[in-house]
Amino acid sequence: MSLRERSFASGGGFGVPGGRSKQNFETWSWFFMRISGLVLFFLALIHFSITHIFNDVTTTTVSFVAKRWANPLWRVFDWLLLALGLLHGNNGLRFIMDDYIRSPRRRAFTKAFVYSLSLALFVVGTVTIVTFKGLVAG
Amino acid sequence: MSPNSTLYKGKTGQWAFVLHRISGFLILMFILLHVVDIATVNFPSVYDAIHRLYGNVVLRLFEVGLLFGLLYHSLNGLRVVMIDFFPGSIKNEKPVFYAIFSLTLLLTVVGGVIILRPFFTGSIH
Repeated sequence: MSLRERSFASGGGFGVPGGRSKQNFETWSWFFMRISGLVLFFLALIHFSITHIFNDVTTTTVSFVAKRWANPLWRVFDWLLLALGLLHGNNGLRFIMDDYIRSPRRRAFTKAFVYSLSLALFVVGTVTIVTFKGLVAG
Repeated sequence: MSPNSTLYKGKTGQWAFVLHRISGFLILMFILLHVVDIATVNFPSVYDAIHRLYGNVVLRLFEVGLLFGLLYHSLNGLRVVMIDFFPGSIKNEKPVFYAIFSLTLLLTVVGGVIILRPFFTGSIH
């Protein structure tokens, strides 16, 4: 779907003059990008500030992570950032692939590769956050 | 690119869109890398070695670039939400773009000085 088509398909009645309230997948995609974007605004900027501004990157060692992740709320924070970041990012990349990869076969193949890689990394990230036991003595 | 070949006809909205797309793509690429480096946390020597490497001046410059991308994508995203959810505000679209771009540059410089400070003070090379 081209940018021009999508801009109308995603109009869905949310503030676009003449937009019809037909709620298809692209309407929900459009809505999800804005809501997840608003949440990510805070999650991503807070995360970057903690790891690069209020602490120097060289001090973010395993013991730094162990101290932060001792509080399960920080694990929830980081997992939300992982999940929403990957969903928001993959949906954005879907627009890019739809716009620039013209051959249907190459587009399907590229999407399969991108989504598989992202799903695999989502599993890796989730396992890392959930199973980390903290610093082992010695 | 001819002025009529695109939806935004080459005005500020065009550049806002192009920068949004490029910054979003690069941030996603960083997230994919970042999941891998965090996954080494169960191998402390590897994890700490990677994060010492991130203290290198070249990679600090990448971090400043990441900060620029994050700030631009976040602030321009707010502008997009404003335009979409409050259609009447569209007449202010251009000055809002200049405002968020200036704020992006200002905060990147402030954050950049903090990130690169160890280089300026000579504690890294």
